[in-house]
Amino acid sequence: MFQSILEFINSTGVAALIQNAKDSFAAASSGFSSIVAVIGTPLMLIIACALLYLAIVKKFEPLLLLPIAFGMLLSNLPMFSGSSAIMMHPELFTDPQYFVDGHLDMQRIFAEGGLLDMLYLGVKLGIYPPLIFLGIGCMTDFGPLIANPKSIILGAAAQLGVFTTFLGALVLGAVVPGINFGVNEAASIGIIGGADGPTAIYVTKSLAPALLPAIAIAAYSYMALIPVIQPPIMKALTTKKERSIVMEQLRPVSKTEKMLFPIIVTIVVALIVPDAVSLVGMLMLGNLIKESGVAERLSKVAQNGLMNVITIFLGITVGATAKAETFLTAETLGIVVLGLIAFCFSTAGGLVLGKIMCKLTGGKINPLIGSAGVSAVPMAARVSQMVGQKENPSNFLLMHAMGPNVAGVIGSAVAAGVFLSMFAK
Amino acid sequence: MNLSEAMSEGLMVTGTGLIIVFSVLVILMLVMMAMKKIFYKEPKKTVVKEAPKAEAPVPEPVAAEPEPQEDPNLIAVIAAAVAAAMDTPVGNLKIKSYRRVDGNAPAWNKAGLRDVIDSRF
Repeated sequence: MFQSILEFINSTGVAALIQNAKDSFAAASSGFSSIVAVIGTPLMLIIACALLYLAIVKKFEPLLLLPIAFGMLLSNLPMFSGSSAIMMHPELFTDPQYFVDGHLDMQRIFAEGGLLDMLYLGVKLGIYPPLIFLGIGCMTDFGPLIANPKSIILGAAAQLGVFTTFLGALVLGAVVPGINFGVNEAASIGIIGGADGPTAIYVTKSLAPALLPAIAIAAYSYMALIPVIQPPIMKALTTKKERSIVMEQLRPVSKTEKMLFPIIVTIVVALIVPDAVSLVGMLMLGNLIKESGVAERLSKVAQNGLMNVITIFLGITVGATAKAETFLTAETLGIVVLGLIAFCFSTAGGLVLGKIMCKLTGGKINPLIGSAGVSAVPMAARVSQMVGQKENPSNFLLMHAMGPNVAGVIGSAVAAGVFLSMFAK
Repeated sequence: MNLSEAMSEGLMVTGTGLIIVFSVLVILMLVMMAMKKIFYKEPKKTVVKEAPKAEAPVPEPVAAEPEPQEDPNLIAVIAAAVAAAMDTPVGNLKIKSYRRVDGNAPAWNKAGLRDVIDSRF
C-alpha cells in the first residue's frame, strides 16, 4: 500500500520537475545553462501563460497565438524523460544525432512519437503552409492588382526588409559571440520581413528548424502590431501633401482576366523560381477555385473548414517545438530584434518606391499604398487607408492599397523561393 | 564566419535576391498590362458618368405632407430599418409620414460608406 503510493508520487509531474532540474543542472556546463536548467521549465510555462494573456485579453492574432501558446504549455509540462506521456519530441526533428542517413528517423517518430509529433509532420513535410495558402487564395481578390498592374512593383519593394534583415542577421552572428547565425538561420529570420506567417514557417522548417518557434511567434506578434509599427514610419517618410493625394478610381476587371491571372502567375513563377511553386501554386489554385465560380463548395471548405483545421494543427505544433533549452537563448532575443527591423525596412522599402512612383507619375500615386506591400492582408492595407484618411477624410485608399498588399503575398513567396533555392539542400 | 565574409555573402544574396524578386514581379506586371490590352474594352463615357449613388431613405417622424403615392413596400422597409436602429419591435412604431430628404448629405454618406467598407475587411 505504502509502496504503491510512493511509486505514484514518484511518477507525478512534480517529481519529474525536480528530477529533471537536478539532472540537467548536473549536466550543465556553464553558469548560464545551469540557470536555464533549473528555471527553464517554470519560465517556459510562464511565457506560455503570458502569450495566452496577449492572445485572449489583448487579442493579438488570437486565432494563431492561442494555439501556439497552448502548444508551448503542453510541450513544456514536466515529464520524465522517455515517458510515453510526452506529446512532442522536437529533438527527433532537429537534432542530427537522431537522424538516419541525414534524414528524419520516421520509424522512430511513428513508434515513440506523441500526438503533437504526428501533427508536426505536417509542418516538417511542408504540408500545412501551402494548404493555408490555398485558403488565403480563396479569400483573395486580385482585382485591384489586375486593375493597377504597377502596384505589383510595390509588393516587390516591400521585400527589402527580408534581404536587409538577412544581411543584418549574418552581421549580428559574426559580431556577437553566443549568437550563431549562419546563412540558413539568417534567411529564416529575414523572411519575417515578408509579414507572412505560413511563408516564414515554410522557409524555417527547411532551413533552421530549431528557430521555428521563435520565428513564428515573432512573425505573428509583429503582424498583430502592424497598426502600431507602420504609421510612425509612414508619417516620417512622406509629406502631408503626398499623404493627401487622391487616386483615380480603379477600372473594372473582367472575369476572364481574373481567371487567367492565377494560371499565368503560376506558370511564370514556376519558370523562374520553381521553389516558390508549392506556395504560389496553392495560392493561385485557391484563387482560381474562387474566381471560376464553378466550384463554390470547394471554395467554401478551403477558406473555412480546411483553413481552420490547419490553423489549429500549425499553431499547436509550432508552439510545441519551443522547449526551454532551444527557446531561452540569446538567439531568440536576436530574432525578436531583427524581426522588428525586418518589418520596419519592408515598410520603408514600399514607401520609398511609392514616393518614386509618385514622382514619376506626376503625383497620381499616393505613396502610402507602398507600405501595404508587406503582405499582412488586409491589415497593412487598412493601415494605409487609416493614415490616408487622417490627412484627407474623403480619401479612400483601401482598394488601391489592396493591390500592393496582395502583390506582397506573391513577393514574399518568391523571396522564400529564392532563399530555398539558394540554401536548401 | 567573420564580419567581412558575412558582409560580402550577405550583400551578394541581398543583391541577387532583390533582382530576382523584382524581375518576377515586373514580368507579372507586363503580363497584366498585356492582358488589359487584350481583354479590357474602355466602357462608353456615358456609362462611366452614371455612377450610382446610394441614398438611404431617412425617416422623419414629424414630417410634413404625406407623399401622394404611398408605396407599402417602402413603408415596410422604413419601418424595419427604424425598428432595427431603435432596437424595438415594429409593432411599437407608427409611421405617420415620410419624405425624401433632398440634396446630398456628404458627411453622413461618407460615414456610412466608411462603416460599410470597415465592416467588410
